[in-house]
Amino acid sequence: MSNPVEHKTMLTLENVGISYKSNRGVFGEAYWALKDVSFQLNQGDSLGIIGRNGVGKSSLLRMIAGLIKPDAGSFTNHGYDVSLLCMQLGFTYYLTGRENIILSGMLMGMRRHEIMEKMDDIIAFAELGRFIDQPIATYSSGMVARLGFSIAFQADPDILLIDEVLGVGDAEFSHKSALMMQEKIKSNKTIVFVSHHAVLVEQLCNRAVWIEEGVTRAEGDTHEVLEQYNRFLNLI
Amino acid sequence: MTTQNKKSNQFLHYIDLIRYKTYADLKAETQRTYLGFLWWVFEPIMYMGVFYIFFGLLLGHKTDDFVPFLLIGLTIWQWFKSCLSHGSETILGGHGLMQQVFLPKVIFPIILLLTDTVKFLFILALLLIFLWTYGYEVGLSYIALPILLMVQLLFTAMLTFLLAAIVPFLPDLRFVVENVLLAVFFMSGVMISPDIIPEEYKMYYYLNPMANIIEDYRNILMHNQWPDWTSLGIIALISIIGIALTVRLIKRFEYIYPKVMV
Repeated sequence: MSNPVEHKTMLTLENVGISYKSNRGVFGEAYWALKDVSFQLNQGDSLGIIGRNGVGKSSLLRMIAGLIKPDAGSFTNHGYDVSLLCMQLGFTYYLTGRENIILSGMLMGMRRHEIMEKMDDIIAFAELGRFIDQPIATYSSGMVARLGFSIAFQADPDILLIDEVLGVGDAEFSHKSALMMQEKIKSNKTIVFVSHHAVLVEQLCNRAVWIEEGVTRAEGDTHEVLEQYNRFLNLI
Repeated sequence: MTTQNKKSNQFLHYIDLIRYKTYADLKAETQRTYLGFLWWVFEPIMYMGVFYIFFGLLLGHKTDDFVPFLLIGLTIWQWFKSCLSHGSETILGGHGLMQQVFLPKVIFPIILLLTDTVKFLFILALLLIFLWTYGYEVGLSYIALPILLMVQLLFTAMLTFLLAAIVPFLPDLRFVVENVLLAVFFMSGVMISPDIIPEEYKMYYYLNPMANIIEDYRNILMHNQWPDWTSLGIIALISIIGIALTVRLIKRFEYIYPKVMV
């Protein structure tokens, strides 16, 4: 490594394909959600992955997160912590807010003592006050969403993967959470953001990858990629 | 941090997660009903009461050993059965979670085994209290009880892991499991004494580990006799090898399970 401050390559994808069985279980024909996807993720990037619904974007994130393996091509993680931003992970309705914070945090990979240290911040950010020791079954949906959001944002991996979930909770909180999300994306963190909203990608990402029918169609500067993507959308 | 360190650290984290999730599942279960935790006691009392009334009072087994004989068999069988029938669905049931975070899939059946075992321990305590009030005494052979419980847990874990590993690919298996369990129930001597089995079939009868295990419990709890160490040792050995193999089987499908359609 010549210069550690330089943008190091964190992930490399080469001709990645991911297939599913079109039937239940292990039988049935293979269906390729992704066929040929290649790109790199460098340190400090906010990479937007754009494409229409159902082109395997979520499968791609799952593979990057290390939940599944590619069925073709190669994917290399050069030794970094990667995780999906998960709202309300493992939430159990009959447990209290506090217990759900611990459970959810531990499922996300945080150690119990880390969660305890952050507990007050999480409760404060969720604006739950005394409700924190009530079962979340008694919460309004807005309160559950706020709690989910506060916990989700405590995880601090090297690479954060976000599947378009910007609108959470009531209007006021939604604004607060969107700000936090943008702050996180704009900070020096490395992010992969998946969306079919060109506007959001344009706002939040410095680089973009466009995937169509499981194949990378363009990669590079957000502006250029989006231009091609929009041109394509207007053609159909 | 070295890789070795990181690995053992991760391992400890998963142990902690299993512990907390077991606690959380048990607690969530008690919160679902008005009486909550008390149901762990009342439910088995009601269950045992039905058998006591039917066999003890109505069929007139009040004086002989049949009621304690039956209740020991049923209690032990219930533990085995609930672990297997609930456990078989655990990896399938973890589908939502495994789409979002990486977890070693073997965690799912382990948590179930632990929650069902905690509930069983309450029932076992009740059974012991019933036996003592019925007139049985604590003998020296009680020392073997924890060992016997452990061997049964290992045997149950092996089968639970195996089912949990296969059910995501063959969900239909769940219906078969229930009926196979019913068949094995009749063949495990829960309701009958092995004495009535013809001598020439006894060898086959004892090929069933559960038949041996249930008889061992009765020997300890009713007759103050040591369990049959040879058969127990063989069951333990097979179970440990079986666990090693089934855990590897689950590991083999680690990255496949999240892709299986539910």
